[in-house]
Amino acid sequence: MATLVEQDVEARALAAELRMTHGFLAGNEPEVKLPESVDFHWSKIRREIERQEAAGVGREDRGVYWLAAARRFLAPLSGVALVAFVSVVSLNLFNAGKVDDPTRQLVETESLSEHVGSISYKSQAENMFVVYLYDKDSGVSDADVEAEPIDDMVIQ
Amino acid sequence: MATKPDISEVPDEKLVRRSQRGDMVSFEELLKRHRDKIFARAFSMMRNEEEATDLSQEAWVKGWQRLKQFHGDSSFVTWMTRIVINLCLDQLRKHKRQRAESIEHLEEDLGGVERQMPTVTVNPTEGLERSELRARIDKALGQLSHEHRTVLILHEFEDLEYKEIAKRMQCSIGTVMSRLFYARRKMAVLMAGWKREQQS
Repeated sequence: MATLVEQDVEARALAAELRMTHGFLAGNEPEVKLPESVDFHWSKIRREIERQEAAGVGREDRGVYWLAAARRFLAPLSGVALVAFVSVVSLNLFNAGKVDDPTRQLVETESLSEHVGSISYKSQAENMFVVYLYDKDSGVSDADVEAEPIDDMVIQ
Repeated sequence: MATKPDISEVPDEKLVRRSQRGDMVSFEELLKRHRDKIFARAFSMMRNEEEATDLSQEAWVKGWQRLKQFHGDSSFVTWMTRIVINLCLDQLRKHKRQRAESIEHLEEDLGGVERQMPTVTVNPTEGLERSELRARIDKALGQLSHEHRTVLILHEFEDLEYKEIAKRMQCSIGTVMSRLFYARRKMAVLMAGWKREQQS
């Protein structure tokens, strides 16, 4: 970025202008004084404090402060607990069918398309489950499909 | 017997601790010391004396009510300044809701006319007395939009970081940077214009 600014004359001038503005603002904030006497200002503030205290607004006592602090601490903690709970539940669901159960694919495999058919083959001995997918609209008979699957896909 | 020290000689920290225990005399002393600074911040943001007086008064009331939450992480006056800044920002948001959104307003973040302004190459503050310089800065601040002025004040005078300004102004960091860029540009151009007027 600095190189880019150095190479471009206009950018260099602009950067110098911004630096200059920053420079003349530093330490030169306009000084303004309260336009009313301190006694009058304080009397209004005091009256307002007393009015609010009488109305029950009052000062926030230490109990309220600790409650607020506890809430600040507990809010993120409950978030973390929720995330942990969801993670554990998800992991359990994910691992539930992972155990040597070759039939689990039967639960997980679902054909949602009316144009695609499937033929499956399961071997307990090989611990294998194969699914052939084929196009129903191609007019090929089931027997042909079995002999020559159009779109093999192995899910294992 | 040792005489009780004059309250005007008691440091802020001690006055804060006494005020936290409910001593209003100590709190009044804190107000006497810092009233101008709190008012000045409110005025710089609102540009309206009456509104700034009311907001600084409200800040002191809130300061008293929340004093137990002050732990001395910053100075008392910095803490009070943050309270008045938040009140001013709330007030400016209320104003904004009342105003109809104009095209010029929507263009403000994108720089509007500031984009076409020529770059200022000669320092327009050279040779100015400090009081004159401050007066011109004040005048120029008065000509900025609320958004540009607030960003400039929070960054240049309150030393707040972009992230903190964005949080307080409820906008993105990019918007803060853009507003700051155009606010500085406009300040430079205004100051240069007055310098030229003075010379001619």
